[in-house]
Amino acid sequence: MPEPTEFSIRVTSDDPKKKESEEKDTKEGPSKLKDDSKEGEGEDLSEEDIQLRGELEMLVERLKESNTELYRPALETLRTLIRTSTSSMTSVPKPLKFLRPHYPDLQALYESWPASEDKSLFADILSVLAMTYSDTQPRGTLRYRLLAASLVPESSSLSEPGSWGHEYVRHLAAELGEEYTYREEEAEDEKPASQDGKSPKADTPLIGTIDDLRALAKECAKFLLKHNAEPDAVDLLEELEIVDEIAQLVDDNTYSRVAQYMIRCVTLLPPPDDVSFLRTAHAIYAQHHKFPEALSLAIRLGDRDLVREDFNAPGNPLMKRQLAFLIARAQIPIEWLHPASSDDNADGDADVDFQDELPDDLLECLTNARLSTHFRDFGKELSVSEAKSLEDIYKSHLENTRSGSAGHIDSARGNLAGTFVNAFVNAGFGNDKLMVEADEGNSWIYKNKDHGMMSAAASLGLSLLWDTDVGLSHVDKYTYSAEEHIKAGALFATGILNAGVRTEADAAMALLGDYVENKSVPLKTSAIMGLGLAYAGSHREDLLTLLIPHIDDAVSMEISSIAALALGFIFTGSENGEITSTILQTLMERDDKALDEKWARFMVLGLALLYLGQQDGSDATIETLKAIEHPISKTAQILVEACAFAATGNVLKIQAMLHHCDEHIDTGKEKEKEKEKEKDNKENTEEKAEEKKVDDTFQTFAVIGISLIAMGEEIGAEMSLRQFNHLMHYGEPNIRKAVPLAIGLVSASNPQLPILDTLSKYSHDSDLQVAINAIFAMGLVGAGTNNARMAQMLRQLAGYYYKEPDCLFMVRIAQGLVHMGKGTIGLNPFFSDRGIMSRPAVAGLLATLTAFTDSKAFILDKYHWMLYFLVTAMYPRFLITLDEELNPLPVTVRVGQAVDVVGQAGKPRTISGFQTHQTPVRLGTTERAELATEEYIPFSHVLEGFVILQKNPGYEKEDKMEL
Amino acid sequence: MGNTPSGMPGAPGGNQNDKDKKDQQQKKKWEPPLPTRVGKKKRKGPAAASKLPAVYPTTRCRLKLLKYERIKDYLLLEEEFVQNQERLKPEATREEKNEEDRSRVDDLRGSPMAVGTLEEIIDDDHAIISTASGPEFYVSIMSYVDKDLLEPGCQVLLHHKTQSIVGVLQDDADPMVSVMKLDKAPTESYADIGGLETQIQEIKESVELPLTHPELYEEMGIKPPKGVILYGVPGTGKTLLAKAVANQTSATFLRVVGSELIQKYLGDGPKLVREMFRVAEEHAPSIVFIDEIDAIGTKRYDSTSGGEREIQRTMLELLNQLDGFDTRGDVKVIMATNKIESLDPALIRPGRIDRKIEFPLPDVKTKRHIFRLHTSRMSLNEDVDLEEFVMTKDDLSGADIKAVCTEAGLLALRERRMRVTKADFTAAREKVLYRKNEGTPEGLYL
Repeated sequence: MPEPTEFSIRVTSDDPKKKESEEKDTKEGPSKLKDDSKEGEGEDLSEEDIQLRGELEMLVERLKESNTELYRPALETLRTLIRTSTSSMTSVPKPLKFLRPHYPDLQALYESWPASEDKSLFADILSVLAMTYSDTQPRGTLRYRLLAASLVPESSSLSEPGSWGHEYVRHLAAELGEEYTYREEEAEDEKPASQDGKSPKADTPLIGTIDDLRALAKECAKFLLKHNAEPDAVDLLEELEIVDEIAQLVDDNTYSRVAQYMIRCVTLLPPPDDVSFLRTAHAIYAQHHKFPEALSLAIRLGDRDLVREDFNAPGNPLMKRQLAFLIARAQIPIEWLHPASSDDNADGDADVDFQDELPDDLLECLTNARLSTHFRDFGKELSVSEAKSLEDIYKSHLENTRSGSAGHIDSARGNLAGTFVNAFVNAGFGNDKLMVEADEGNSWIYKNKDHGMMSAAASLGLSLLWDTDVGLSHVDKYTYSAEEHIKAGALFATGILNAGVRTEADAAMALLGDYVENKSVPLKTSAIMGLGLAYAGSHREDLLTLLIPHIDDAVSMEISSIAALALGFIFTGSENGEITSTILQTLMERDDKALDEKWARFMVLGLALLYLGQQDGSDATIETLKAIEHPISKTAQILVEACAFAATGNVLKIQAMLHHCDEHIDTGKEKEKEKEKEKDNKENTEEKAEEKKVDDTFQTFAVIGISLIAMGEEIGAEMSLRQFNHLMHYGEPNIRKAVPLAIGLVSASNPQLPILDTLSKYSHDSDLQVAINAIFAMGLVGAGTNNARMAQMLRQLAGYYYKEPDCLFMVRIAQGLVHMGKGTIGLNPFFSDRGIMSRPAVAGLLATLTAFTDSKAFILDKYHWMLYFLVTAMYPRFLITLDEELNPLPVTVRVGQAVDVVGQAGKPRTISGFQTHQTPVRLGTTERAELATEEYIPFSHVLEGFVILQKNPGYEKEDKMEL
Repeated sequence: MGNTPSGMPGAPGGNQNDKDKKDQQQKKKWEPPLPTRVGKKKRKGPAAASKLPAVYPTTRCRLKLLKYERIKDYLLLEEEFVQNQERLKPEATREEKNEEDRSRVDDLRGSPMAVGTLEEIIDDDHAIISTASGPEFYVSIMSYVDKDLLEPGCQVLLHHKTQSIVGVLQDDADPMVSVMKLDKAPTESYADIGGLETQIQEIKESVELPLTHPELYEEMGIKPPKGVILYGVPGTGKTLLAKAVANQTSATFLRVVGSELIQKYLGDGPKLVREMFRVAEEHAPSIVFIDEIDAIGTKRYDSTSGGEREIQRTMLELLNQLDGFDTRGDVKVIMATNKIESLDPALIRPGRIDRKIEFPLPDVKTKRHIFRLHTSRMSLNEDVDLEEFVMTKDDLSGADIKAVCTEAGLLALRERRMRVTKADFTAAREKVLYRKNEGTPEGLYL
């Protein structure tokens, strides 16, 4: 029965209006025929309609009579008539149409009845009729429904709302929401509302309590869940602020749709709701034993206890391994899996014990130990393991360079660029021709000078990325080099190659720990930063004690900033109080001159990284920062705030960031004017110009902040591009140069055509700073995609900028980035179907971008090794399927563009335009994979990274019959 | 820079270098940017930069609302930002400068300007154009012409002497199409239709609802129909219903008669069809109403007449537009004909025209309704009993009934009476029926 009604009553909300207009029509008609037309309306009806109307009128009359005996049958008949009515989707069901004129009478009649079971039934019917009067008497349906519920005797229960059909339930749900907000407001306004004067409304609040409303809402939600309207159910409960109760209502068929819908809502909800949605979704998954889903939400929440619970929940060892892979990907500190009982003090010892407790196989998964081997196998499978030379990437024969000018470029720059390109392109394979495979004396290192040697030596780390066994021995020989730069580079390389993997030997700590105290600045900085990269996101307390003294290093701002940054990497998103206070202390105590240095921004960034994704947790720090008088405090506030709300899509914060970009524009302009007008008063202008220079860094970070907040949420990311367009149009140079960086961050490794076009435009900007940043952003956007169009654009740029060594250097690096890992390694900080943000990855990207906010002082100067900050964001874009023994297991999978199917009817395909491949396969940022065979069941819900497969016991080979 | 002798020591050399560098930068500014998309056919629709993200799911739910709110929030932010910027850095100063530039550009353009069609872009500064007078020219493109707007086939302004391109005419929609657009909604509404309840319902379901409530179809998991064809004997209200749809909807309503699509020159007809659908899509949601579709939609047959073949090609274009390779978004098609049996089967197959709505001759009840509609504004004498006319067995269509009423009114007018009498009606009916059956000998062979 519900099916036809459901279909038929759909669009009722439109029709009362229409009827009114009809009524108006008749009223406006010529007076002569007024009665005629009224008669005509009656005659219009078909025989059955007339009969139906007669019957209904008779029933209404009967209710008006005094004979109480007849009430019940009359009401029953009315009910059946209404329930069984069907009509088209464009009009009101006939009984409702005919009963509409009687509604006021019936209302009056209802008031006169004594309370009884019949009255309850009557109220129920009135509640349905009230739907037709929803425009003039709001929430009538709900009112009568509640009345009906209050009158119903204990013995019998009221019929379910669902029995009146779909439309009724929806109507009721809508009114529930309205009523709830109305009552909330009422409660806020306290008593004055009772004097409102509207008598029918005045007694409305008396019917039923909030609890009744909620109970009714739950009943409606149950019905909605049963009828494929999961979003409606979630919406209803959310409006009544009891969304957490949906966990009890869902069943095996509906839970996944409900949870997916809720997850999709999260980024769009205002702060308190988003966490409660995530928690509810987590509860739903946990309840249905969907551990990977639950764990990924726990990681997203950053909740230590939930992560531990989820990790320990499953009994199946294979499932545990799968979870371990997920945790390893997110680089969750292993200590989190430790029971909560341990105090911070006891951490050191307890860790070791606990690690022993974990079985070896799990530990192996947790530490990402086999990442390198798997990655190389993956490379072999895709036949890209062969090392690529620089010329393979540059393809300079395709460049349309002008004749005879090729040799013009600064060869040191060219070699330096070659270092980076070689490192990025051959990252992880450990077989590049320039460094690893080269003979001792013939290494590329010696083709560089001074600080170039450091980057060259450090590139070894990238080339041998994740390979902790062989890699260290390769790097080792350079640590004994007499040349300080090479030594520093080797130290840095040690740090780099340990990024993202943990070893039992703890090699990075052992090798670098001593150098932290070294006198030499390059050795010291590279050791500190190496530790930062190697243990990014690990929250290790022993490193805290090691590095924290260097923050208030009185000598050099460089070292103390780098130490702060390294700690920021290690303790990203930890809200660590000790580091916070140390950094704040330093910021307060340092004299202005030190803070004016270019390094200060890294110190501030280190502070900001501690609050990555902590949202309101950063409030206290921001308040403290306000107390600092130096202009750096403003940059710090912006950075901390942006990091705290990273990837939340919080519009208010974006607005705040935009406001920052608004400011100072007129002062800047005034200065320009002043400069023009008062050229004689040179002193004055210079002073002002200087002041401006100090002031405007925060705007640069505000722009990056916008993209940091907006990323991870599709709509925000897309809309933020429009903002950047405006910023580019109106902004001062300091804003303009940050815009390409922001674009690069928001769509890292995700080369969409419009973005490529925009960046390509910016890369020809007349401001070289903007152009350089745009070129780098092109590298970020295309990172690891082998995007042909991007490659071509960059080749053209190489020709265009053949005379500009800085730009050419950047173009080469961008080319290297585009072919990163020969197209196997991406930079996108989001994983697990773009659902979880990897904090170390964001930290790495942000640090690199920070270096680019003043590229002349860092990257293009002698601190080009800062490009290696990207290493924490580098992760292979592979899908490797493993069997139960964790050996690669080739299966066929379909890979295609991901399609957002949340909230859609039926079971639509989740990917479009797919191709079938054999695993291991490489996945683009917006791509998704699904198994093409039924032979195996994956343990993970998202096919990405490592996925363990299990044989499907119910699988039958289809081609059995042929043999 | 390569020309300067290297190794010149001292300050002057350094200066030279600096200057060179500056020159270089200056020069760079004027180097041509990447010829990215210039000269290629662009995608239709709004520019990618100003496009708003698509919102999924389409079902009504909070998620959709939230997403739209998010977009709105961002737009508000943009507005605020732009306003602030305008306040801080008013356009006025720039405007002055622009004004000057513009007048200079106008001088350069000269007048009058000829109109031509861009045939092909050779390089960044040169193109081949053709003019109505015949020959094609290889001309230069002035530097101030927005090259992004140039695409093959677009209308350009040409300098009267040198014929170089000095401007682009933006709106290249065929003027014929703009005529089709309905500016003033017809006055007929659904209330003016007697009967035809099922037909109204069907057309609402397949044309109006998909445009106003697409989520209903989404929820059900079906694709709404692309179009409907209205067919039935003459005078049964096909056009009237289409008018009512136009009256009711806020969508763009394009109306065209099949015969309009037959053009004098080869290729013009299909082009018109293409243009029409393009305009419809640009103004989506829109409804295209093609009356008397049998003018172009008759069954294909081997024909030696060029005109005949051209008509068939026009129909083929129509077929392609209805269900071809490109998907049309919110464009609904209504066709009307009274000879559905003569239409090409490909035209009315499901997928192109999913719904065929028949308009039968009115039954007694409908007739009564129609009579009442037409007589409601007439002053009738007491002796007029409409029932009598309603109950007759004549095959009266809606139009016939209207004719009877009008005729009766005219007869009354002839005799200067203020009221229409029964006699008028009887006479009018005789007259109308006589005309209707003209030529067919009445009851001779029965």
